[in-house]
Formats: sequence, structure tokens, C-alpha cells
Amino acid sequence: MGKKRPVTIILALVCAAALASGAVYGALSKEYTGSFTAMDTYNTVKVRGADAKKALSSVSEITSELDTALLSRHSDTSAVNEINLNRGGRIPEELAPYLDTLFEVYEKSGGAFDFTLGTLTDLWGIGTENERVPSDDEIKKALALTGADKLDYTDGKIKFPEGISLDFGAAGKGIALDEIEKEFGREKISRAVVSLGGSIMLYGSGEFTVGIKDPRSAGYMAVLTLGDCFVSTSGNYERYFEKDGVRYHHILDPGTGYPVNSGLAGVTVIAPGGTLSDALSTACFVLGREKGETLCKEFGCEAVFVYEDGGVYATDGVKDSLEITDDYYRAEGVK
Amino acid sequence: MKNKPLKKADIFIVLGVAALALLFIFLRGSKSERRIAVITVDSAVTDRIDLDEVKEKITIMPDTDPQVVIAAENGEIYFESSGCRDKICVKSGRLSKAGDIAVCLPAKTVVSITGSGPDAVTY
Repeated sequence: MGKKRPVTIILALVCAAALASGAVYGALSKEYTGSFTAMDTYNTVKVRGADAKKALSSVSEITSELDTALLSRHSDTSAVNEINLNRGGRIPEELAPYLDTLFEVYEKSGGAFDFTLGTLTDLWGIGTENERVPSDDEIKKALALTGADKLDYTDGKIKFPEGISLDFGAAGKGIALDEIEKEFGREKISRAVVSLGGSIMLYGSGEFTVGIKDPRSAGYMAVLTLGDCFVSTSGNYERYFEKDGVRYHHILDPGTGYPVNSGLAGVTVIAPGGTLSDALSTACFVLGREKGETLCKEFGCEAVFVYEDGGVYATDGVKDSLEITDDYYRAEGVK
Repeated sequence: MKNKPLKKADIFIVLGVAALALLFIFLRGSKSERRIAVITVDSAVTDRIDLDEVKEKITIMPDTDPQVVIAAENGEIYFESSGCRDKICVKSGRLSKAGDIAVCLPAKTVVSITGSGPDAVTY
């Protein structure tokens, strides 16, 4: 009996350690989920880690605060609204790095992504009670009040002519995701999936799966398997109105002033940052597959182009990560 | 240090535990394969519908403002109509796979299908 005692004690200790580590692992691996509305979209969060519970609330706080205090041009209290009213002003410090990214995408895309389309967007009013098809003359006049090249941005201050309206709507969710990533870096978060109205941040180690929305239904038509990154999609299937049998969607071509008509139903971009993925997905949708792919390469990003006729083209870096799950769609080479 | 031969009772215990483990795995597996449509209004779950059990069309009218009408049939669920302005919820179309989701923001209503789907859907 005396010889067995140490063994019994060791076994008991091992069991206790296993139970304790199991309890700790259980707590750390527990996934917390939440949802909230902000930025005029439905947003979801799945998060694991010691600070997971806290992170749930910080995600919604960051998103709402960014929208109302900084980015929304329809919020009376936002910095962008004030800048638009005053035709300029000091760019808030936290917005400056993102504005640099937006300027870079504007320039490299030849203006296909433009964050000064506020006046043109208001003219069409798509998704609002004022939606209508404007006349050619109205569009021409509104186009004259667009173009980030008309902005004078030096020493953190911006100035622009009357009538121009900054609009971060196409990149606001991406900017929020970048801010959330910074916050997660300060907290103990091991893994998270944050979706702000379909713009997604995949955070942490291991693989994630992301469905690409089917432009023809509520489901997804393909699944991407990815590591940590940001994923954004621009498509013509959600915000639109129909007039005399013609569908007018919300992504406007800064060159023509009309909704983009490139044969694409949607473009999904995979990037190392949220602002970049948001801006590039819009640019690629406007530019079309060939120029869009070239632009993505310049930024070291990947993309999936979904055509209205069911063709799907993935750039080299995600070709093998893409699984098409709906029979209507087929993988294609270069069109 | 000689190994003692297993008694019959030991074998029964081992087989019993293994059978229970297999049953547990099977039950968990079969549970996750069911497609349950969950309707939430203002973040509170109001309805759960087993889409594989829906034989005839059913309609659900949760207490929302604006009013939405949700229909389920043939293994699918969708916003049939809505009093909201932009009708994004109706335009979303029919949900049938785990992970599918449709939202009516003005009515604070979300329809989603639970089960093993992707981590997120980009749109």
C-alpha cells in the first residue's frame, strides 16, 4: 500500500491538472456571439478569447461611434458632415490614415473608386424615398461636382469647392473593421469573425470559411477558405429600384454618372485591411474584371468576380480556395 | 507486472461506453444537419421552424412595425412582403441553406438558418 501512495497522488494531481486545464480551455474556447444594427446595416460578431465578452460590446460601440461622430454625412454630429457644410476643415487624426488609403485607391483606379460622389448619390436617391432616374443634364451637372482630384488636402486640412460632398459610404464599414482590429490587438482575443453589413474581418489563427452571397437568392453560391484577412463585396443585387423594366442599382460609375453596367453581378475582394477591401471591391466592380484584377495585383490583393450570366473568375491567389456550391455558377478562365 | 486477462464484465463495460459514445456522436451529428429557420425581432427569438418538416406553405406575421410577412414552403423560407420602403428583405429571396440570412432593418427582423454553414457570408 505504501508504494502505491505516490502513484495515487501523482494520478490525482494529473487528473486535477487535466480538469483545471479543461476548464480554462473551455472558458477560452467558448464562442460569444452577438448582433447589432449600425451604419444602416445588420452586423454580427463571433469572438473567442479571455476578453471575448468585453469585445462584443466594444465592437458595437466602435462601429456606432465611428458612424455618428466621424463618418456619416447624414449625422448632424459627424466630422464629415461638418466638413461638407464648411467645404473643408481639419481631418480628424483617426481618419487621416484611412483617407490616405482612399486617395491611393482613387488615384490607382483612375477615379473608379471616388469618395466624393455625395451629390450624385443624392440625385439618384437610390434606397431612399426620393429615388428616381435623373435627366442627362442633371447627371452632367452633378458629375461636375465630383472628383477627389478637386480636393486640396495638405497638412491634415482639406478644402474643396462648393457643391462637392465627401461620402465614405463605400468604405465606412471597412474603416470600422480596421478600428475593431486595432481594439482586438489591445484585448485578449484569440479568434473572431466580425461582419458589418457583409464586410468581414477574419481575426486570429487557423482557417475560416466565407460564403459569397448568391446574387440571385438569399443564399451563398460559393465558399472561400481563408486565413486572417478582410473580405468585402460590391454587388448590384441588393440596393436598387426598377423603372420601366430597367433595374437601377446603387453603385454609380464616376465616369458616366449612371449605375455601373459591366456584366458583373458582384466582386469580392480579399485584402489585408478593411478600408482597402471595401474601396477595392467598389473599384473592381466599376472597372470590370481585367482592369480590376490588375488593380488588385498592385495592392497585393485577391478577388472573385461573379458575372450575371453565372461565370465566376477567381484571381490566382484564391483560385484553389474557392468552392462553387450552386449549380447555376461555373468557374471560368479569362473572359 | 503481468497483464491480467480482461473479464467478461470489463468487455461489456468497454462495449457499453463505446456504444454510448457512438450514439452521442450520432445524435449530435444528426441534430446539426437539421435546417432550423430562426426568426428574431429586436434580437428576441420569436419563431423556430424546422424547414425539413414544413410540408405545406405556412406564413408568419411577427409583431413588427412596419409589418412583415414571412413564408416557409418546400424547405425554403423568405420575406413574402414587407411594409418597409426599400424592400431589401423581400429582394433577398429565398433561404434554404445553413448560414443563409435575410434582414429587414426597419422591422428589426432577422431570418436565418442554423446548422453547419460558413463562418460568415459576404454581400
